[in-house]
Amino acid sequence: MSSETGRPSGIASRISGAAGRAGGAALDRLTTVTGPINRALQPLANVYNRLIGGYFGEMNGLQFVLVIGTLVGLLTAPFWGNYALIQAMIAASIWAILAMGWDIQSGYTGYISFGHSVLSGGAGYTTAMLIHNVNPELPMLVTIPVSVLAALGIGLLIALPSLRLSGPYFSLITFVAVLIFYRMMNPLSEYTGGETGLAGVEKIFDITEPVQSYYLFLLPMLAVAVALLIVARSNIGLILLAIRENESAVEAAGINATKFKIWSFMLSSIPMGIGGVLLAHRFGGVDPGSFIVVDNSIEMIAMAVVGGMGSILGPLGGAFFIILMEDIVLHAFGLDAQLRWAILWIIVLLILVFARQGLFRKLWYGLERLGGDRR
Amino acid sequence: MLDQILSVLLLGAVVSAIYALVAIGFTMIFGVGGVLNLAHGGLIMFGAYAYMVLTSSSVVGAIAVPPAAGFVIAVVGTALASYALYAGLVRYIEDNVVITFLSTVMVALLLTNLIHYRFGANPQGTPSVLSGSLHLEGFGTRIGYMYILGFVLSWITIGLLWYYVTQTDEGRSILATSMSERGAQLTGVNLLSVKSRTWLIAGAFAGIAGVILGTVEPTTPQMWLNPLANAFIIVVIGGIGSIKGSVVAAYLIGYLQQFTTEFIGQGYVGIPSLIVLVAVLLLLPEGLYGREFAHE
Repeated sequence: MSSETGRPSGIASRISGAAGRAGGAALDRLTTVTGPINRALQPLANVYNRLIGGYFGEMNGLQFVLVIGTLVGLLTAPFWGNYALIQAMIAASIWAILAMGWDIQSGYTGYISFGHSVLSGGAGYTTAMLIHNVNPELPMLVTIPVSVLAALGIGLLIALPSLRLSGPYFSLITFVAVLIFYRMMNPLSEYTGGETGLAGVEKIFDITEPVQSYYLFLLPMLAVAVALLIVARSNIGLILLAIRENESAVEAAGINATKFKIWSFMLSSIPMGIGGVLLAHRFGGVDPGSFIVVDNSIEMIAMAVVGGMGSILGPLGGAFFIILMEDIVLHAFGLDAQLRWAILWIIVLLILVFARQGLFRKLWYGLERLGGDRR
Repeated sequence: MLDQILSVLLLGAVVSAIYALVAIGFTMIFGVGGVLNLAHGGLIMFGAYAYMVLTSSSVVGAIAVPPAAGFVIAVVGTALASYALYAGLVRYIEDNVVITFLSTVMVALLLTNLIHYRFGANPQGTPSVLSGSLHLEGFGTRIGYMYILGFVLSWITIGLLWYYVTQTDEGRSILATSMSERGAQLTGVNLLSVKSRTWLIAGAFAGIAGVILGTVEPTTPQMWLNPLANAFIIVVIGGIGSIKGSVVAAYLIGYLQQFTTEFIGQGYVGIPSLIVLVAVLLLLPEGLYGREFAHE
């Protein structure tokens, strides 16, 4: 951005560079151990690579084990996890949907939105308002699609004027969108319940049936992940990445970048809508404090950044990392909620400065090197 | 009706003066470094809490300095905090716009959580720098001396800043850098020193705004958000990097909000400014006195 870009930029990159080299050497030594393991697992991965590798990208044996192991872990959690863990994983599933939704728009195009909580909050509020103001008997089959549509509508409303702007201007406007939405709550309190919000949304988390309830959150999350991965690995995803790298080059290639930016915003509105609805059904109600406030948008961003922006699965991992850190790990130390978040923000800040690509991307490429056959 | 109009005129002037202070600091950092400092609101809060800790004996130990001294120390402290933020963090990451503004958000939230943890979420009152109020007989309205002090201080600091950036060589190098970083460098301007000074000035402005806001309104861990949001709106309307634009837009927004509060209702305060914002964006994407944000 300035003439300073020519020289290595500051201590941060030098330190992380040095750490990377040291870590790299350690990785290379480890390869002697992990290489054979990888080769032993490779046949399994090859089956996958031949079948659907073309859609999601190929993996080596170690990466394949990581993905399958995580998936099995997620799917079997109710059978080995305790109550607190399942609760945290339900929350993490919802936040993973939101973080992935943010990522397909902001992580891929580089247009950082601070306003995504408006989309999820809009969907949650639509559900609650339909039940509260229209008809308490409305089935979920009606409220859920309508709420997701509402998120789409709000997304279009934000995207159309704000995508005229570039870079920081765009982020400013989306930040302001949250504030507008938040300030509308009180004047319209007749419909929105004002500061206290609305209750009476059917809870789909049943304490007596934690196993079943868990899948009601996990399966939509996995479905969203697969759908977004397919889009992200398609040509659309490539164009979005190209917009992030060099928008004028995209325009010069005869592609209407604005159209694709609007598409990506729409595309991200759908998971945001689904996440918002799930959040409403998780708590049995909506209120401005847990649905709209700007902290919510920033939490999504933090999760995506920690995991690795622009990678879909990174934000998924980031959401689980942050929620499990907050609810389980830091909770175990008996820290105050404010202090827990303060520690999390410091972690996120350190990752931002020293591992800009995110933890899970580092892990992924680390495994690729550990496989030892692709250097 | 007449007293309502008078109250809008008076309060609007004061509110706008504070907004102008906030927005100028924000826009200077953006204009010079291309850095969107989302921790600017956090600096305002830092100033307000620093003043509170220094002047009220009940908060930390038995520190209680006279309000005027507390004011000065809080402003200097905020300026130094702002510089520390630049020298300790932003300097190393400013080549990446996205990382920079995400990091500054994290700093703001970190500060919010720490303040919340240490001082609690409840609004706290602080001793006024100047207590008492001016009673305007015949209009049936009264206005606190603190508001008047805020207005006067705002104009004095803006005047000093104007003198600094237009009449002194050091200040002119800031102006030059904000116009063209490369051009300024070619004429021998030390970028690091310019940026450090900008952050110090922005911090001092945030500190002044913070102390005034903290005394006329309750001091809470969420108080950074509204000033920051208003600064956004003002800076976008005025044009990014333009001090004149910030002042004009600050008064536009300040009066608009005061008018809305008085005649339409407290709940609708944010909405008219947003309509103005959207209109400006659609008609003048660069703002009233701005120029396009360009990567050099």
